[in-house]
Amino acid sequence: MTADAPGALDLGKLFAARLHAARVRPYLATALFALRPVESPQVPTMGVDRHWRCYVSPAFVDRTPVAELAAVWVHEVAHLLRDHHGRGDRFAREHRLTGPAERLRMNIAADCEINDDVYGDGLPRPEGAVTPEKLGLRPGELMEDYLRHYRLGPRLERLAWLDCGSGADGLDREWELGPAGAHGLSAQERDAIRFRVARGIKGTPGSAPGGWRRWAEEVFHPPQPWRRLLGSALRSAVFAPGVGDDYSYGRPARRSAGLPGVVLPSLRRRPPRVCVVIDTSGSVSDAELGSALLEVAAICRAVGGRRDLVSVLSCDAAARTVQPLCRTEGIELVGGGGTDLRTGFARALRTRPDAVVVLTDGQTPWPAERPPCRTVVGLFPRTGGAYGENGPDDWANTPPAWARVVTIGSGRG
Amino acid sequence: MTSRAYAPLPADRPAASPLAVADALSALLRDTTTEPRSDDQLEALTLAVAADLPVLLWGEPGIGKTAALTQLATALDLPLTTVIASVHEPSDFSGLPVVGEDPAVQGVPLAPPDWAVRLVRAGRGLLFLDELSTAPPAVQAALLRLVLERRIGALRLPPGVRIVAAANPRSSAADGWELSPPLANRFVHLQWAHDHDVVVRGLGGTWPRATLPRLDPERLSGAVAYARRAVCGFLTARPGLVHRLPGGESHRGGAWPSPRSWEATLRLIAFATAAGSSRDVLSLLVRGAVGDGPGLELLASLDRMDLPDPETLLADPAGAELPERGDLRQAVLDGVVAAVRGRPERARWDAAWALLVRAAETGAPDVVVVPATTLAALRRDDWAVPAAIERLTGVVSLSRRADEAARVAGARR
Repeated sequence: MTADAPGALDLGKLFAARLHAARVRPYLATALFALRPVESPQVPTMGVDRHWRCYVSPAFVDRTPVAELAAVWVHEVAHLLRDHHGRGDRFAREHRLTGPAERLRMNIAADCEINDDVYGDGLPRPEGAVTPEKLGLRPGELMEDYLRHYRLGPRLERLAWLDCGSGADGLDREWELGPAGAHGLSAQERDAIRFRVARGIKGTPGSAPGGWRRWAEEVFHPPQPWRRLLGSALRSAVFAPGVGDDYSYGRPARRSAGLPGVVLPSLRRRPPRVCVVIDTSGSVSDAELGSALLEVAAICRAVGGRRDLVSVLSCDAAARTVQPLCRTEGIELVGGGGTDLRTGFARALRTRPDAVVVLTDGQTPWPAERPPCRTVVGLFPRTGGAYGENGPDDWANTPPAWARVVTIGSGRG
Repeated sequence: MTSRAYAPLPADRPAASPLAVADALSALLRDTTTEPRSDDQLEALTLAVAADLPVLLWGEPGIGKTAALTQLATALDLPLTTVIASVHEPSDFSGLPVVGEDPAVQGVPLAPPDWAVRLVRAGRGLLFLDELSTAPPAVQAALLRLVLERRIGALRLPPGVRIVAAANPRSSAADGWELSPPLANRFVHLQWAHDHDVVVRGLGGTWPRATLPRLDPERLSGAVAYARRAVCGFLTARPGLVHRLPGGESHRGGAWPSPRSWEATLRLIAFATAAGSSRDVLSLLVRGAVGDGPGLELLASLDRMDLPDPETLLADPAGAELPERGDLRQAVLDGVVAAVRGRPERARWDAAWALLVRAAETGAPDVVVVPATTLAALRRDDWAVPAAIERLTGVVSLSRRADEAARVAGARR
């Protein structure tokens, strides 16, 4: 358990550190115990590969206190859980980045993503740990965001010792055992561990910091670009069976020529009529509204809607006039103050639309009854205690179950 | 793959026609070979087809879905019939009315299209429905009957016909409709991605060859029992997952859990077990049948099911084989301690200590600490401390070092 010869790896210290890490971060215990330590004098400090092996320098273990070693354990396992090597590879492909300097940049960006909230509560921040603040960046962002916002410079040269292995940036190191080496984890095993850790975090809300909770929410279901979701929601609302198209005998089917004597109906479609209700209360910014409205107009055109059949209605406490969307720009949005979407719905339904699209931040009462047409809600998320400010009744303001809800502004639209 | 050898054109003879030379060049390009290569997605596809479940391949255009299908048909020796769903009318799948001599007496039969007639006459084949997601909803509804009841008009597809469909993901299908939940639920969804090495090697002249997974006749009944135990045990513990319609906007059009897709899962587990497939292949199949979340949970419970039974371990601690991986090892030890807590007897308590000693001596000692602490707390007053505990001193000192680290870190904070 202890070092018998100088230079040998002090496994006892290493395992005591892992135990300490698992005690102060119980939700990471599964992942920590799944890591296999491999002694390696070549690695500068500690590093992981993509197969969940952890390479440890004996000298580093000797000179580092147990609690700090525990912090490094958590740091390394975070690289693996957050799939920094896979994301680094994807980023490199998308942006055509090559070379070790770019990989070092990825390692630093990945460290920034981890380091802003994993320490504290029993884990001291290791000396020289790179944080977003040190680079002059905002904390709480993702590796990809950091990669876009900084360049390697003379200021960062002192970070060049930093090396978390291929698990952090996707670049294979000479000391690593590779995919065929002993005791690597298969892709399915890695997914299973991620899943178990994520479920542990979601199961005990409040115990994990925000960065980990966000990771747990998104690990298997990354947020999708809202434009795509809004488009498919609108398309399926407009084209759902019974809406827009029907069989008619008004004109013979194109196949009638081949079937003399049979009257075949032909499929006729009348262009869908869409009414967009816009929440113009003070809480939605014009820029948000503008981009969402342009999107809706573009989708309506793409699905064959004629411009004169797409109408726009601005609504605060009272519903204003319905304007046809004849131009993509220059729609006059009037209003401000509180919202009551019930009047907006009532007014919109008078145009007998096939689908109603509501753009709102959700801070409004909703109709109690399901309207007679499909409803798509584009929701501008409001965080920071927007719900529940006026007591528990505010929860009734979330969009009802009969509407298809697309959150606008999440993900990379 | 066909390979034809054309005799090279003699140089001295005047060239026959420009096209003959072009044909010779084309023939040389077609001259490729295949090699067996372990490919998880191809194996998953082959297994699902062997299990006679409809498969839906999701992939970007041009990624080689059709090429994979051609290979699969060759490997399974099935004639391939490709139908582009998006260019057909609903009546092509539900049957075209044909007028006989006296419709009032004989009725108007619904005639099937020619490809269906040929498929039925052949009695066997691989039916490939391409571009499924770009088919309009009415065509999708007609396909429902084809995929589920295997009927086209008055014809019924013979059991020897296997169905595979392909769709482009919503991101690349600019004008695509999403799959309706009932249709999505009938398929095993496989994400199709290209493997860089395979493509480069294939363009160099050697494509991978799909091999039909060999089902071991000896393992058939065992595989069925295993699959039933896995699915039933899991659904007993998680009744909420038996049926859950996709809720969020980003989950639509994909796999979701229902009694039908659980039955498909059961089949797939049995087939994968009988074929001795890897966990990675099984993971693709199970997640493709019931979706990522429920699929991962089922796989996690399979992992637990594969762990040694605590009672067997307690019966023979000396011969016990503990898993190598730390997190699984701790799960086993926790299970053993829980079993002792369930029926506390002196002999079982002693056997559990022997197991902990074995674990501490054969692997990382930090995973033993928590089970040992729990086990120690189960001690009754009249039970003497077993001698084996002496051999756990390493674990105790490890625990002390971690305590010390916690104290130091706490003081520093």
